[in-house]
Amino acid sequence: MNAVGQPMPRTDGRLKVTGAARYSADVPLDGMAHAAIVHSTIANGRTVSIDTTSAEEAPGVVAVFTHHNMPRMNPTPEPWSHLHPHGQSYLPLLADAVHYAGQPIALVIAETLDQATYAGTLIKVEYEADQPVVFNRETAKEAVDPPPFLWPVASSVGDADEGIATAAVTIDQTYTTSDRHHNQMEPHVSTAVWDADETLTLYETTQHIFGARELVSIVLGIPPEKITIVSHFLGGGFGGKAYVWPHTLLAALAAKVVNRPVRLQLTRAQMYSMVGHQAATIQQVVLGAGEDGTLAGIRHDSISPTPVFDDYIEYAALAARSLWAAGTGIATNHKVVHVNRNTPTAMRSPHEALGHFALESAMDELAYATGVDPVALRLLNDTEIDPYSGRPFSTRAMRECLTKGAERFGWDERTPEPRSMRDGRYLIGQGMASAIYTHWRWPAKARVTVHQDGSALVETGTHELGTGTYTVMQQVAADALGVAPEKVTVRLGDTRLPASHPSIGSATMANAGASVMLAAKAARDRAIELALAGRDAPFAGAEPDDVLVADGRLVLARKSLEITYAELLARNGLSTVVGDGDYDPVEEALGPKAVFSFSAVFAEVRVDPDLGLVRLNRFVGAYDAGRIINPRTARSQAIGGIIWGVGQALLEQSETDPETARFANRNYSGYLVPTNADIPELDVLFAGGFDEEASPLGAKGLGELTAVSVAPAIANAVHHATGKRVRDLPITVEKIL
Amino acid sequence: MHPFSISVADDPGRAVAAHAQDDHLSYIAGGTDLLGLMKDGAAFPAHLLDINDLPGLAGVDATPDGGLRIGALARMSDVAANAEVRERFPVIAEGLLFAASGQLRNMASMGGNIMQRTRCSYFRDGDDPACNKRRPGSGCSALDGLNRNHAIFGWSDACVATHPSDVAVALAALEADVVVLGRAGERSIPIADFHRLPGGTPERDTVLGRGELIVAVEVRAQAEGRASHYLKVRDRQSYEFALVSVAAAVETEGRRLRSVRLAMGGVAHKPWRLTAAETALRGADLDDIGALEAAIATSFTDARPLAHNAFKADLSRRAVLRALQTAGARA
Repeated sequence: MNAVGQPMPRTDGRLKVTGAARYSADVPLDGMAHAAIVHSTIANGRTVSIDTTSAEEAPGVVAVFTHHNMPRMNPTPEPWSHLHPHGQSYLPLLADAVHYAGQPIALVIAETLDQATYAGTLIKVEYEADQPVVFNRETAKEAVDPPPFLWPVASSVGDADEGIATAAVTIDQTYTTSDRHHNQMEPHVSTAVWDADETLTLYETTQHIFGARELVSIVLGIPPEKITIVSHFLGGGFGGKAYVWPHTLLAALAAKVVNRPVRLQLTRAQMYSMVGHQAATIQQVVLGAGEDGTLAGIRHDSISPTPVFDDYIEYAALAARSLWAAGTGIATNHKVVHVNRNTPTAMRSPHEALGHFALESAMDELAYATGVDPVALRLLNDTEIDPYSGRPFSTRAMRECLTKGAERFGWDERTPEPRSMRDGRYLIGQGMASAIYTHWRWPAKARVTVHQDGSALVETGTHELGTGTYTVMQQVAADALGVAPEKVTVRLGDTRLPASHPSIGSATMANAGASVMLAAKAARDRAIELALAGRDAPFAGAEPDDVLVADGRLVLARKSLEITYAELLARNGLSTVVGDGDYDPVEEALGPKAVFSFSAVFAEVRVDPDLGLVRLNRFVGAYDAGRIINPRTARSQAIGGIIWGVGQALLEQSETDPETARFANRNYSGYLVPTNADIPELDVLFAGGFDEEASPLGAKGLGELTAVSVAPAIANAVHHATGKRVRDLPITVEKIL
Repeated sequence: MHPFSISVADDPGRAVAAHAQDDHLSYIAGGTDLLGLMKDGAAFPAHLLDINDLPGLAGVDATPDGGLRIGALARMSDVAANAEVRERFPVIAEGLLFAASGQLRNMASMGGNIMQRTRCSYFRDGDDPACNKRRPGSGCSALDGLNRNHAIFGWSDACVATHPSDVAVALAALEADVVVLGRAGERSIPIADFHRLPGGTPERDTVLGRGELIVAVEVRAQAEGRASHYLKVRDRQSYEFALVSVAAAVETEGRRLRSVRLAMGGVAHKPWRLTAAETALRGADLDDIGALEAAIATSFTDARPLAHNAFKADLSRRAVLRALQTAGARA
């Protein structure tokens, strides 16, 4: 029986629930010192003086660093690249300038974390403060055109404005999303160890060990082969640990100076300013359509904040480029506003989850303006050709997602008039939305070793973010080798392993997974060679294609011959056979077909109209993520994504104090994420199939897709329940009353 | 966190004496609020006196006049589960169960609960913004800053914070007494007088002084207790402080209200009694929604919303009506 496709439980589940899994902050090291960062309380200006005298004399203190004595660093590399990604270009502790609240201005190293933290409170800082600039509708008027980052900033296919101008029905609305923070359970931590031969080992919380190695190499000016990055488990990444943030560099430099291992863990509050976040957006969507709902033109523009020193773009309008056909044209654009804050970064699901809120809310408005059912409207505007690139989609099961999702949800029972469905005192609302998600194709390498006892070892430098990577790689290798999954051990998260790509953008299954499959097949092929032509070859004379693998054996069915891997290796006097996998796909944009994942999701809300409370009643998500490797971990990804989207829709907002430009609610008490009590049963179904363009495994990205369009589905359901169209997230009490 | 020492108290009298003598000493019971305050740099006790082992302070006992005496060291979860409390004062059980999380309720004491400090994000900000509760005289960042979660009643220019306790609101509606041990023995403080309005000294949340220790909360036997309800309105379903909350306790004759007690949380620096509404509601018919709304509105004529919490006045009136109806249905 194939392992792929089976709902295998996590191989590392027991380790995790018993606390035996060793996360980056758990790695024990002899002689380790602890670091604590002191950060700026102003958001704009400079430090005039930093008095560290008392801190240096405090118990246990080993060293105190400020911009006066911090070793210098090279600037972050231009242009930005996924191969050596920095989170932000501005590196602290190199000058007296302060550009954002919570910027590191001193670093204390002490024997214990408590000593370092306490000594930090003894540092006296004098500032020269200027008024900071914050992002709001007023400052958004100062938006400028940024240079391109991940994709072109603007796009125009056909003539969107003409389609809109001549349309029978137009929707022209502004939608906003809030600043949000990842708030992973596991804080960011970096532990730096220098060996006698000047090699650096960093135990990191990272979704990209090889990118971290390259970036650290460039900024610290040491060759990459002298750096090892280790990250065996992550307690949540969500994009926030994809790039290298300044604290990693500070830890490495400090460890060098004090000549002992240094652990630097950010506090919960520091995770709001020392690593990235998702920037707020102000988006305008204009739809032009015929009376029957056929889209003629789409215009989607977005403005988001970025720091004074970087041009980070939330590509919110990206979705409009490829989601629906628009007969006359589609135009998109992005602008940024430079403000006093740290650099935003990718946060599940960057770009798409912001843009879909606007676009799919507007589609619902169009459905009501034309009287066309929201599902029918989307079926009407479905397309087999990517409007942006003109290429056919490799696979696009949007229709299946819409129809199967609607059937599972019972969409036919819905009465379309707002406020027409009730349950006692509650208003019931049903809304839906669709989504499209970018597919990344990246190179990845892996090695598979079959041992004499018939067991196998998978080694690849990808990551376990909490998604089940150890498990799915085991399944993939098991099938390719024809061994039971229990025979396969998986080793990840170390730059001494074969190089892989960042675990972001839902890319790991399709790309790192492909490299594992190729490596396992190479090991299998090497074994087949031995069976055909090795010592005392059991299948001598047969062709490689005649040999099958199953149950730990090579089988030549035609002659009813078989031999186990163990016997084969013993016969040849080998302790192992090794296969290398080198998956080197062309970039998606350069391929013959457009590869994306798709979904249609359906939400039912219960609104207490007297108290303005919105609660999710039930949710159905139908996803086309290609071939599903493990339905259990896939479902977990999906329900996690839905819950992530519920947070975006109803709860999450990082509030900025207008005076100090600080994120004000820098903790789990002030920043609300959903609790179990907020989440009903979630119904997940998979409507896609094998996509050979996406990956040799047939898999497309899933994790990020599932967090997209939850918010518009809920907002559309709220409109259906109450008649109120909420265009600003999150949907809180005061917007319903 | 700053360095501190800790010792264990074994006798209430000696604990009170130690507290009287040392301005830098703080009692600690469950520690669920105090430790957070210390980590956020909002409390700096040099010495913690652990009172968890003090004898006789953890029970829930009947009083001679038919009321209940709830020990200051009784845990929230134990009080919420107590059969007498659940049957005779459901508003208390609900006020406890809708608060915090299961783990916190297992740790947190009743005395500590009513001594909780505000959740104002400026007060809790380790970066020490202007806050008269943190640093008297430094100003109030929330007055012109982010104040969605702040007061609409009784605030001053010095402080617009709200009191975070849920059960204190229930206790206010039941006109409970806070029993305090001082150097001269025990005294009872009506809960309405226990918490303060901010005025010019918002650093003081309560009327307690040095050398005083809460030993119990006493609730008198009362007809309104059984038909009582605690309604908590919040952005998420669990584990969050109230946007607004209402404790309602009623005595009825048929569908007519004979006596009404109403207190609100999330709207003021202390549990806020709606005395005008209570008077206006007397004799009202529970089925006459218009009359109930008009009577409730009498308590909101002096509401003074801030820039971001104007919705709280409207939401409060709606919440009071709902709580009243729910309590009334229990009569």
